[in-house]
Amino acid sequence: MNPIRKKRLLSIFFVFLFSVSGVSLILYSLNSNLDYFFTPSELKEVDIPTKKRIKIGGMVLEGSVDRNASDISFTITDYENSIVVLFEGIVPDLFKEGSGVVALGYLNDEIFYAEEVLAKHDENYMPPNLDIEK
Amino acid sequence: MIVEISHFLAIISTALFFLAGLFALTIKNTFYTTNLISKTFSHAFLFFSASFFIYIYLAITDDFSVQYIANHSNSALPIFYKISSIWSAHEGSMFLWIFFLALWGFIFNIFIKNTEILKPKTIGIISLVIVGFLLFLLITSNPFVTILPIAPVNGADINPVLQDPALAIHPPTLYLGYVGFVIPFACSMAFLINNDASVKWESLVRKWSVMAWIFLTIGITLGSWWAYYELGWGGYWFWDPVENVALMPWLAATAFLHSLSVSIKSSHLRTWTILLSISVFSLSLFGAFIVRSGIIDSVHSFANDPQRGLYLLAFISAIILISLSLFISRFSLTRNHRSIKTLSKESFISINNIFFVTLIFSIMLGVTYPLIYEYFYDQKISVGAPFYNAIFIPIVILASIFLFFSIESKWSRSLDLKIFINPIFISLFLSFVATLIVFINLEKINIFVLLSIFTGLLIIFRYLIEIWSSFVYKKYLNPFSAIAHFALGLLLVSISLNSLLSSERALNIKINEYEEYKDLNIYFRDLNLVKGPNYDSVKANFVVEDQNGKSFNLYPEKRRYSRRGQITTETAIYITPFRDIYLTIGDQLEDGSWIVNIQINFLIRWIWFSAFLMAFAGVVLISSKRKV
Repeated sequence: MNPIRKKRLLSIFFVFLFSVSGVSLILYSLNSNLDYFFTPSELKEVDIPTKKRIKIGGMVLEGSVDRNASDISFTITDYENSIVVLFEGIVPDLFKEGSGVVALGYLNDEIFYAEEVLAKHDENYMPPNLDIEK
Repeated sequence: MIVEISHFLAIISTALFFLAGLFALTIKNTFYTTNLISKTFSHAFLFFSASFFIYIYLAITDDFSVQYIANHSNSALPIFYKISSIWSAHEGSMFLWIFFLALWGFIFNIFIKNTEILKPKTIGIISLVIVGFLLFLLITSNPFVTILPIAPVNGADINPVLQDPALAIHPPTLYLGYVGFVIPFACSMAFLINNDASVKWESLVRKWSVMAWIFLTIGITLGSWWAYYELGWGGYWFWDPVENVALMPWLAATAFLHSLSVSIKSSHLRTWTILLSISVFSLSLFGAFIVRSGIIDSVHSFANDPQRGLYLLAFISAIILISLSLFISRFSLTRNHRSIKTLSKESFISINNIFFVTLIFSIMLGVTYPLIYEYFYDQKISVGAPFYNAIFIPIVILASIFLFFSIESKWSRSLDLKIFINPIFISLFLSFVATLIVFINLEKINIFVLLSIFTGLLIIFRYLIEIWSSFVYKKYLNPFSAIAHFALGLLLVSISLNSLLSSERALNIKINEYEEYKDLNIYFRDLNLVKGPNYDSVKANFVVEDQNGKSFNLYPEKRRYSRRGQITTETAIYITPFRDIYLTIGDQLEDGSWIVNIQINFLIRWIWFSAFLMAFAGVVLISSKRKV
């Protein structure tokens, strides 16, 4: 093989090698940092390790909100299944009973320990995967 | 009807812009045709700006027969917010976007002489981009729709979280940045069409690109600052999809400016520069698509409409496809047969390009992966801060180390490290000592955070030495580069220390009670019901005393806006040079106590200060007389 071609081939090989390893590193870190989204009904069908951070979305069940000091507990429901959520801190302004909510956190023994509670900045917001006619 | 005049003017200007584009790209350029194209463009702009200013007039005079104004403004608003209500939702903000696009083209048209060989084509391409957006405005998001025959007496209100001076100027600044990159884009395309490698399009667009970059930097920073005090979450960056689509063009633009300086100096990296000019502009458009199509859930997204998304997607795809095929067909134009010397400034900047592209690619993946994943696996996912931190922290640290060594590098010559042992050694030593001090004084330790403090300090000390020697030994120093990179070092250190030191806690406190948090003593003095012009509010009064016995009042509020019934949290922030005391109130409990969230945010002002310092560096470059 002529030397110029050999050099070129070698550099193509290295560029390829670096790109592939770079992209796979990025994809790896992407896959280990994904937050899966579940509705309470979907949650029933899957088995989630307690160390896995997930998102749960649904409606805040009417009458389920219970505050104790700076802790708050409430039930997220899709009106078929529901799950109890514990959270410490201030819930967003748009959080209210009977409206949509998304919680980010960890599931342990049927109780969801939320790190973050989000309500959309839009009064007509409905969490994804939920089309409930009320 | 005045609104019809505005509408009509917009339609005429569309036709004129189209003509300008048609002339530029079909007729052979001579002095006379250039003159014709330039005149046509100016007139198109005249018509369009008349249309835009009439629309502003309509908003100021409360013409609620215009549906958009009726839905987003209110006669009780001060004039300032009546104007800013125009860009508080989709149609009007698109209108503003196009106005800025045309404005950039117009200023370019005035300042660049007709003898400039790339001018007619550049103006033509800008015109066609404007036409694309104008058709989008007129067909899918018409702001001129009227409510007839009976106009409402009063308008709905502007969204209360948007009634804020920082937010009123945040979108215009950001848009000026986004669309400003139409100039380097159009110019690089004109260069490719013109097919002459000796034409230096890069020098022509340098200052224009820096100007757009300044606006983009300030726009993003204003958004971050606004979110911090208005939304009540207390952070400065959330890796929200909409923030991400603003960060991508910024990163691309920053890489573009680096690459551009190489292409100007030594005609290297011209391929990179053209590809980056395409990337910056298409990423700006991609941002518009993400925000306006509603394809991704975000706190920022506008009310959505699939037709708009489809149009924008088709438009962006067309722009990317056409520009890339043009680039490929003229690939030989940008080839440079000399190779780059190892450890020269060029080599460092090409490495820098690779880092930036990796970051952009990662964000792009993070933004689009949920869509791809849901399509294939029917499972909703989201990508949050952990992913971006995992990618950004190591890459930024690496890039900073390269930056540190590149400071002494020379154009087209290898770097001789031996000569620069002293400044490198001194800054290494100083940074090490400073990081050690941080390390000893902290309970929480994170190796990556320490590393980024260390690299940030490296850059800071290294540039301090440079600045010192430029004063003492009259050694040449590029002020733009020095200020911008110094700001980067400062940004790194502030972000790292902020993440290490800041903390928050939710307290449960009754009126007249005391509570302690860290070195602070918090006393809940009072709570009042206050009536504002268009809201009712619960206003609390806290007296906070720090360890030095210094005490101050904080008044966090919770407001309910009468018109929309929307509830907002008004934070109370006590600002000191090194930390913010940040208070928000939540709900009242059954026993009468209130939930109060207290945060101590360290060095958060320094983060924005660093970003503004970067923008200031751009101003220094623009105002410098030195060519290139």
